[in-house]
Amino acid sequence: MSGDRSPPARRRVLITGIGLVTPLGLDAPATWGALLAGTSGIDVVRSFDASGFPVRIGAEVKGFDDTRVERGLRRYATRQHRFALAAAAEALRDAGVAPTPETAAHWACIVGAGMMGVEFADLAAFQRRAAPEGVLRPDRVAEPASAVAFARNQPTAGLALLVRRFGIQGRAAAMHTACASGGQALGAAMRLIRHGTADCALAGGFDAMLNPIGLAGFCLLGALSADNHDPPRASRPFDRSRNGFVLGEGAGFLVLEAADVARRRGARAYAELAGDGNALSSYRITDSHPSGRGPIEAMRHALADANEPPEAVDYLNAHGTSTPMNDRSECAAVRAVLGAQAARLAVSSTKSLMGHLIAAAGAVEAAICALAIRDGVAPASANLRQPDPDCHLPFVTGAPQRRPIRVALSNAFGFGGSNNCLVLRAAPAA
Amino acid sequence: MASRIVITGTGIICGLGRDAATVGRALRAGHSAIAPIRHWEAAGWPHRYAAEIADLDPRALVADRKSLKLLRRSHVLGLYAAAQAVEQAGFLGQRAALPAAAAAAFNDRSGIYVGSSGTTYQDQYDFLPLLARSEGDLVRFGRDLTAAVPPMWLLQSLPNNVLCHFGIQTGFTGPHACVVTHSTGGVLAVAEAAAALRDGLADRAVAVAHEAPLEPQTMRGYADLGVLARETVRPFDQGRDGTLLGEGAAALALEMAGTRGGAELGELLGSAEVSEGGALLGVRADGDGLARAMQLALADAGCGPADIGMIVAHGNGTRASDASEAIAIRRVFGAAAPPVTSFKWALGHTLAAAAVLDTVLALDALAAGEVPGIATLRETDRSCQPLPVSRRPQRPRGRIALILSRGFAGTNAALVVRAA
Repeated sequence: MSGDRSPPARRRVLITGIGLVTPLGLDAPATWGALLAGTSGIDVVRSFDASGFPVRIGAEVKGFDDTRVERGLRRYATRQHRFALAAAAEALRDAGVAPTPETAAHWACIVGAGMMGVEFADLAAFQRRAAPEGVLRPDRVAEPASAVAFARNQPTAGLALLVRRFGIQGRAAAMHTACASGGQALGAAMRLIRHGTADCALAGGFDAMLNPIGLAGFCLLGALSADNHDPPRASRPFDRSRNGFVLGEGAGFLVLEAADVARRRGARAYAELAGDGNALSSYRITDSHPSGRGPIEAMRHALADANEPPEAVDYLNAHGTSTPMNDRSECAAVRAVLGAQAARLAVSSTKSLMGHLIAAAGAVEAAICALAIRDGVAPASANLRQPDPDCHLPFVTGAPQRRPIRVALSNAFGFGGSNNCLVLRAAPAA
Repeated sequence: MASRIVITGTGIICGLGRDAATVGRALRAGHSAIAPIRHWEAAGWPHRYAAEIADLDPRALVADRKSLKLLRRSHVLGLYAAAQAVEQAGFLGQRAALPAAAAAAFNDRSGIYVGSSGTTYQDQYDFLPLLARSEGDLVRFGRDLTAAVPPMWLLQSLPNNVLCHFGIQTGFTGPHACVVTHSTGGVLAVAEAAAALRDGLADRAVAVAHEAPLEPQTMRGYADLGVLARETVRPFDQGRDGTLLGEGAAALALEMAGTRGGAELGELLGSAEVSEGGALLGVRADGDGLARAMQLALADAGCGPADIGMIVAHGNGTRASDASEAIAIRRVFGAAAPPVTSFKWALGHTLAAAAVLDTVLALDALAAGEVPGIATLRETDRSCQPLPVSRRPQRPRGRIALILSRGFAGTNAALVVRAA
């Protein structure tokens, strides 16, 4: 690993496996198929009774089979961890590779972990035990209890389950920068492989905030679209009438491999993960600067990291949350970075169909960019009928756009001012 | 050595004090911050000892008091330590001397890296009254929501709050990360900062780790795991019966050597983190992950075991961790380990903050030429021998310290620093 082996000048990093659990499908092919077909994953919330909430719609993962998670691990795995374990297993299967006792130390596991640590049922049980009148009474917590709920609600629990399930023994890290988490985790994993700290990485993000507490948190902030009457239309990134985002849930994992390692085993690659750029807005907690400051630097750094000029970009999977401020600021940033070249782009926000997967969003959307490169097709941005004049970019609307895509960008911007941009590029011929 | 990463500022706040010199003196004098919990009613608790920061007044610790309503206790500690490190490094003064365009470039080349275990349990206490009132009826829960829970609740609970608020406070806009990997999160924050500096993405960075786990549900959880001591942490002692939690934060201001001629406190030589890929929470009995982390960190630092002048062990006082840690140290150092100590007997286990606190205190120990002893050590456990631990202060063997850290998810980490 590091140190005893000097890494080659600049190791390329390939995406050799993809696994997705999303509101559009329970694996990557189903998600990609639904996205190209323009099927919406947004509906009335059904996993709990949300009828008293100001917002009653969301993008739920539907029909997830819990037996995809090994029995022994299930009680330590909350909903977000189950998505993560299933998506990670799919990614490894898809790549046709897995850590072995010989290679385990050369595998890293880097995850963008979900924001909400505590499962609602566990919180409700704690309230009944420790705060029957609503005020925490430490004396009622003095008695010993099972440690299982404590263990599964640790922010590290998802990472712990993944490294154990797949026997990973190299660098293991969980990161969290709200909606930028998944993208930053992939970027961090890519750098570890470049540096030679790891040869392979299982990297991605997971989140499941569609529970009473998560939904409540975003309702209180007024960040969600309250178009309860028309769920599939509620997420309208870049549309003049947009009024907030739609909360989703899911997981996305990629298998990243050093090109030299992947080539030795004759692996096929979806694309190269070629660049990572990060910048902090340091402006406000939830808003990005109207000028696009923050996202601008993230995109510029990512392109420089990939050694690609702005005019090389074919497809942008926008952060595109469908909130008034984000979309305007993102468009300003794209114009600032790409200038006149912005006209030859294809831009879409897949949140229009699958909602906002929070800590998983950046990873899932990077996976979509990889699929777009492989198939030469840019998915459409749904519900974009009247583009906001402040959001003037060449959006893909109606149907997906067939076009060769060599370079794709995936943006992920988070509450707290973290901005991440990833560059994906068609894999070099072996 | 064109790519040296130097430490030009440190920040610390913990149960023993609010600056490195004070905490270092207290440790050498054998003072401990561990006492019965005071800031909530813990009478009747079998495990009620912890290393609290007494008389904490958040308003005295944060520059922007308006931001306090959006910050939790742990965030306040992190912001305080980070500000201390940046102040000592003189970053803001350096920027003030620049014309506007150069100051903007300075901000873009300044990174912020944060580690914490990611608070969760107490974040949700604001929902307890609503849950009690709605009696399991989610329709009522949803209807009464806006009247019962503070509107900014979610923003108080962002795990990346220190990153966000320190960015706004300093104006730094460069590369960054927020690592939430339990106890190794602190080392990972430093490692990510070092990688960004070596990659040329930043000229300077602050790495900060923070933790405030002393609330009932978290303490209950650790007690239920069976890892808490009754009242004393005795690392590597025959009679040790567990660890105790502590709260605190620590920070390092890092920059590339030659960026300017500021005072150098030390040098960050290397780091590593690995997982054992086994137990969800526990450690391997053979110390394999920790031994590998040490070997990788030494290789990253370009030094060998003989170069290490002292070791700040994880030494959390639990039976399993200390025994396996001693095995790991023997595997790497053979019979020739330098003086070993651990600070958790005095500071408690501050989770992600621990390794960064230990790093700041290791620099202080090397500067003082004295490795603080483990004041609670009575008789070194036979299963931990031979291990050069002592009640009394020891003399470091050289200018380089190795700091060890272990956490959930089978993670083990090591950090190597040299004192100036």
